[in-house]
Amino acid sequence: MIELHRVWKVFAVGPVKVPALSDVSFRVGKGEFVTLHGASGAGKTTLLRLLYREELPTEGEIEVLDYDVPALRVREVAELRRSIGVVFQDAKLLPGRTVYENVAFVLRVLGTPRREITPRVFDALRAVGLSSRAQAYPAQLSQGEAQRAALARAIARNPLLLLADEPTGSLDESMAAEVLDIVKDIWAGGTTVLFATHQARLAAALRQRTLTLVGGRLVKDEG
Amino acid sequence: MLGFLIGEALRDLRRAGRVAVAAVLLITLSLAALGGFWLVSTNVGQATAHWRDRVRIIVYLKREPPAADLQALMERVQGMPGVGAVRYVSKAEALGTLKQVLGKDASVAEQLPANPLPASLEVTPTAEGATPDAARALIATLAALPEADEVGGGIDWIERLARGQRLLDVIGLGVGAVLALAAILTVTTATTLVLHARREELEIMRLVGAPELVVRAPLLLQGMLQGLVGAVMAIWVLIALYTIAGPRLEPLVSQTLGLERLTFLRPQTVVVLMFAGTMLGGFGGWLARGRTER
Repeated sequence: MIELHRVWKVFAVGPVKVPALSDVSFRVGKGEFVTLHGASGAGKTTLLRLLYREELPTEGEIEVLDYDVPALRVREVAELRRSIGVVFQDAKLLPGRTVYENVAFVLRVLGTPRREITPRVFDALRAVGLSSRAQAYPAQLSQGEAQRAALARAIARNPLLLLADEPTGSLDESMAAEVLDIVKDIWAGGTTVLFATHQARLAAALRQRTLTLVGGRLVKDEG
Repeated sequence: MLGFLIGEALRDLRRAGRVAVAAVLLITLSLAALGGFWLVSTNVGQATAHWRDRVRIIVYLKREPPAADLQALMERVQGMPGVGAVRYVSKAEALGTLKQVLGKDASVAEQLPANPLPASLEVTPTAEGATPDAARALIATLAALPEADEVGGGIDWIERLARGQRLLDVIGLGVGAVLALAAILTVTTATTLVLHARREELEIMRLVGAPELVVRAPLLLQGMLQGLVGAVMAIWVLIALYTIAGPRLEPLVSQTLGLERLTFLRPQTVVVLMFAGTMLGGFGGWLARGRTER
């Protein structure tokens, strides 16, 4: 499903080269739930961005869903991304569209037949417990609701892989627990999950395989 | 999918707001200018064609030839290059025509002691013979006839009219091109504003793997819509001008150019203007779409 081999990512800040990831290698099998743990700046987001080809590695090999990620052409990047759901710490909902429209938007741009859109949107909203808020605008949602709407948007396309970049980072404990439960349900449905968090307690509570990043190096792979 | 793309394009147009309105107005102005020059040029062209058809060269004869000589003369003239038709006008027919022209004053001609008008040959050139150079050559050949006293007629002024028409076309294209350039830049600016307003959507679209066509098509479509609306408005402006000014100008045009009625642009030209407007807008949208690429 995911395989990284000796991956380096170095950012050039003027003449200074800053390594964000150093010699990172690991594998994630189909259907696994893997927590990516590390402090802010440890390289979690960079690693996730490499997986959906928002960034290119400076060195190393990356394979995701049988795609040789660094070698992909523009059209193939789009193909890869159609199988990946991504959620962020800020939900990145479109402010001018309702929750329903936010979820429907991604289905529409991917050419989903019109008659399938409404049932799929409501299936996704039910899965995250938001069907009663379908007509609300992002500004009317709590942070937890916004994050659940973002999850609904990610799972409406039935992705094979879910990349969650600190989705609970700005939530209080009870909201974070709700979001976590939803992510676990998604995983239980067969989706492979890579869940990035800086919260050690949360990583421990998940009781799943945990990859720990420190200063861009993978220092621990346990569980 | 097409409905979605058009819906997004309309949403984009609303987002562009006043800049989109400015772009539409500029497209209207550029196409109305171009169409206006075309309208004038079409009518000048019609006048040119009208007068070209009526070009005649008159060969005034020294004396009225006997029937046998006349037949031989007409055959010689008919055989000259550039001659389409030849008609003999006798002294009596010329006098009759003069009387018709004089109308109620025809009695003046009747008081003449003798018919002073010469017999003549009315020569109609072929289309090839109706160019200025060919007509000048034909006039020289006709003047060299031993029977010819004087040769009248020429088509230089018609050629000047035709040159004027070509000049109008060039000016129209020039003014239209300058305004079209301004219109393209305005559409590009409007589309760039749309891109700025849509950056979050574009980010989401790329993140979920939307095909490039879906990302770009609304931008192109909203540009094309601006162009089409501008073209339709330009045609309305031209129709309004034609309807209001046409009847007032017709007497003047009839006296100067000999045209009884002014004509509007041909349907093909209207289609060309609408197509040009749509393409102008589309080009502006296409120029801006480059900024969506990473």
